[in-house]
Amino acid sequence: MSLHVTFRVGNANYALPASQVLHLESYETATHVPGAPAYVAGLVQVRGRLVPVVDLRTRFGLPPIEHSLDRRVVVVQNGTRVAGLLVDSAREVVQIDEAAYEKPPEIIEEQASGFVNGVATSAQRLFLLVDVPRIIGEELSHG
Amino acid sequence: MANSNANGNGNGKAIEVTSARLDEIVRALRLTVGRATQIEENVAQLAENGESQAAAAEEMRESVTSIATSMEETATASEELVRSQQTVAANTNDVQKGLEAAATGLQELAASVATVRKDTDVLAQSAESTATVVEQSARSLKTITGNAKELASISERLASAMTQTSTTIADTSSRGTETAATIEEVAATVEQMSAGSARLASDARQVGDRVTGLATGFKGVVGALEHVVSDAAETASSVEETSATAEELARSFRGVADLADTLQQAATSTASNLTEVAASVEEVAATAEKTAVVIDDNAAAIEQIARAAQGVTTSAQEVSSLAGSSATAAHQLDAVTRKIAGVVEEAKATSARVGVSARSGGATVGRTIGGLVKIRQALVEGAGVMKDMGKRAEEIGDIVQTINLIADRTNLLSLNASIEAARAGEHGRGFAVIAEEVRALAERAAAAASDVSKIVRGLQGAARDAQASSTEGMRMAEEGAQLSEEARAGLQVILEGVETLDGSIKNISTASEEQARAVQIVGSSTARLETESKSIARVNTEQSAAISSVARAASEMRTMAKQTRDATNEQARTLRDLVKMNGQLTGYADKLARATEEQVTGANQLAKASAQMRTATQRTTTAMADQMKTLTGMTESLTEIASATQRTVAGVAEQAKGAHEIARAMDSARKQAVQSARALGEQASATKELDSGVRDVARLSAEVTTAVEEQTVGLTVLAKDANSTRRVAKQTARAVGEQTEALEQLAVATLRQTASMKGLAQSTSEQTTTTEQVSQAMRDIRSRLREISTALTANVKTAVSSAKETATVAKEIAAVRAASAEQAELIAVLGRASGNGTLEPAT
Repeated sequence: MSLHVTFRVGNANYALPASQVLHLESYETATHVPGAPAYVAGLVQVRGRLVPVVDLRTRFGLPPIEHSLDRRVVVVQNGTRVAGLLVDSAREVVQIDEAAYEKPPEIIEEQASGFVNGVATSAQRLFLLVDVPRIIGEELSHG
Repeated sequence: MANSNANGNGNGKAIEVTSARLDEIVRALRLTVGRATQIEENVAQLAENGESQAAAAEEMRESVTSIATSMEETATASEELVRSQQTVAANTNDVQKGLEAAATGLQELAASVATVRKDTDVLAQSAESTATVVEQSARSLKTITGNAKELASISERLASAMTQTSTTIADTSSRGTETAATIEEVAATVEQMSAGSARLASDARQVGDRVTGLATGFKGVVGALEHVVSDAAETASSVEETSATAEELARSFRGVADLADTLQQAATSTASNLTEVAASVEEVAATAEKTAVVIDDNAAAIEQIARAAQGVTTSAQEVSSLAGSSATAAHQLDAVTRKIAGVVEEAKATSARVGVSARSGGATVGRTIGGLVKIRQALVEGAGVMKDMGKRAEEIGDIVQTINLIADRTNLLSLNASIEAARAGEHGRGFAVIAEEVRALAERAAAAASDVSKIVRGLQGAARDAQASSTEGMRMAEEGAQLSEEARAGLQVILEGVETLDGSIKNISTASEEQARAVQIVGSSTARLETESKSIARVNTEQSAAISSVARAASEMRTMAKQTRDATNEQARTLRDLVKMNGQLTGYADKLARATEEQVTGANQLAKASAQMRTATQRTTTAMADQMKTLTGMTESLTEIASATQRTVAGVAEQAKGAHEIARAMDSARKQAVQSARALGEQASATKELDSGVRDVARLSAEVTTAVEEQTVGLTVLAKDANSTRRVAKQTARAVGEQTEALEQLAVATLRQTASMKGLAQSTSEQTTTTEQVSQAMRDIRSRLREISTALTANVKTAVSSAKETATVAKEIAAVRAASAEQAELIAVLGRASGNGTLEPAT
């Protein structure tokens, strides 16, 4: 059992192992970076360092939503890289048994462009496990 | 950690590392403590805010409850208003219906009154014509009266003339009777004379016979001439005798002559008497003629009177029938007036009902206005409360926003703490639990804040709606008040109209009563008129009959007069004939007298001759013997004498025959006189009858006069009554006309009133609808307020529990802080112990 940070984008609940998460921040606004991909919301300053923020809605191909207090940035660390994932909301942490990870059905895997690399359940709730390097890796290499 | 400290007494490097780590831990712990303190403060603030929120929510709830209460009141009031307005509408409808009924009734009334007016006009015309007829009747009656008076005086004069005539006729009759007696006497005398004459004639015949015998004797004497001489003495004596007889005859003739003279005188006097009688009869005839003319005139006058009376009767019957129709019309009028009175009474009652309804409607409208004013005030207050509530809700929203923010931050902090705790591994487990609890609490606080926010948003919306509704309600209340004011004004107008209507109805009632009275008077006077005209007709009929009988009597009288005149004329003619015959008789008498005179003379001469003869005979006798010769001659003379005697006898016979004729004539004269006397008696009795008839006529005339005078008086009264009828009819017509006008005006006013009532009803209906809408809005507001109240109650509860929980959180955070502080101290002690006080213990 390990702690997972859960968040919500669109209608789906996602989960990330807490080990990959540095911390969570509330999201006011991001400084737009010209020339950056559309899914990069911009740059934010978090605890003294600049973090690029990836808008998961845009990244997952969902329509944009209005700004709300619920929107948060999940600051993740992938190796040395630190990035923020802009989610609709992130309000809880859950204990998920990593051994209970399941591979997502192929059709979902194809449709999700490889962003989802697993499915986990906790207390009858279903969480999609995101592939953080996939989400941030490519874009950061481009950026 | 103590164990790790305790176990850390190894090499210095490890210690350094441990010390560095401990320093890091201490810093982290201090940070944690600082954060915890911050959290505590925040939580305290949160609790404080929660409490104030609860208090505010409580306050709000109370306000909402009071709003709900006032809304309840308002709703009740508006429902009451609706009911009142419905009542008003119903009343208005009733009033309208009543007014319409009143209008219809008035129109009917107007139509009835128009009919009445027509009837009254007809009545007036009838009365007019009646009056005219009555006046004509009066005039004709006056004429009749004059005629009757004239008739009476003429009858009087006629009666006196009749009396005179009667006296004259009686006189004439007595004279005629006298004449008849005289004629009787004359006739008796004539009869005697006739008898005498007859005797004379027989004597004469005897004489003749004797003379014949004498002659025969003489012839025998002659034949026996010798014997004659011897018989001469005898002869002489015979002559003597003869002479004596002749003398006697002469004397007798003298008597006859005397009688004839007397007869002549009597005839003359008779003639004169007859002439007198004839003149008198002539006079009578002339008088009878005049009387007949007068009677004719009278009869004509009476017939005229009869015709006039007939006309009067017809007029009276006409009057009677007119009065009858007038009475019928008056009865109808009376009935119609009664009906009008009933309708007016009904209209009065309706008007009173309308007045009562209008007054109660006015009171209701007043109450409505009061209610509306109260509603408006309540709504103003409610609007203020709503505004206040909105402001409070906004404040609550701000607070909730803050709470939300805080909850969010708390959540974030707890999540980060969890992540940190996870990083810390086993050591962070307890911390992770706490962080999780904090997160859960923050989550609940956020949820509660979100609920509050939602509720507040709803509340704000409701407050806004309520405010809008309140404003709308206020406007509607104002409109309602205005409409009610208008309704009150309308009701006032209705009341005034009803009062006017009442006054008009009272006037109508009074006029109707007056009309009824007038109609009754008309009816009674018409009935009286009818009765009187009937009695007049009856009297007139009687009068007519009387006049007819008078006319009949006059006609009979005329016939009688004509007969009298004819009889008198005939009488006169007969008398004239009689006079003529009397003249003839007188002539005859004269002739007779003359003849008798001559006879007397002849008798005298005969006597003289007889005397001479006697002397001669004496001388003859003496000289008979001597004069034998002469005897033959004497015989011849005797023969001549015989023939003369024969002639005398014939003359006497003729005379006798004439006397007979006289006697017969006298007889017929007597008969005629008797007849005349009888006729005169008849005439007298007829005259008497005529007189009595004329007296009857006079009496009848007087009666006619009286009756006509009475009739005139009655007619004058009738004329007066007709005049008054006419006046009353005119007044009635005028009054009815005015009444009709007033009724028409009233109908127009009522129609106008009805129209305004319709408008009022419509506006009241609209008002009712509006008020119902207000009521509906009120009900909505009320239900919303109830929801708000419920929600606020829940909110308060939630806030209270939130405060409680926040307090718990604060307590727990304090515990956390304390624990952290303790931990920090322990770590510091550990650090001191391991690294000679590199780190300061945390405070």
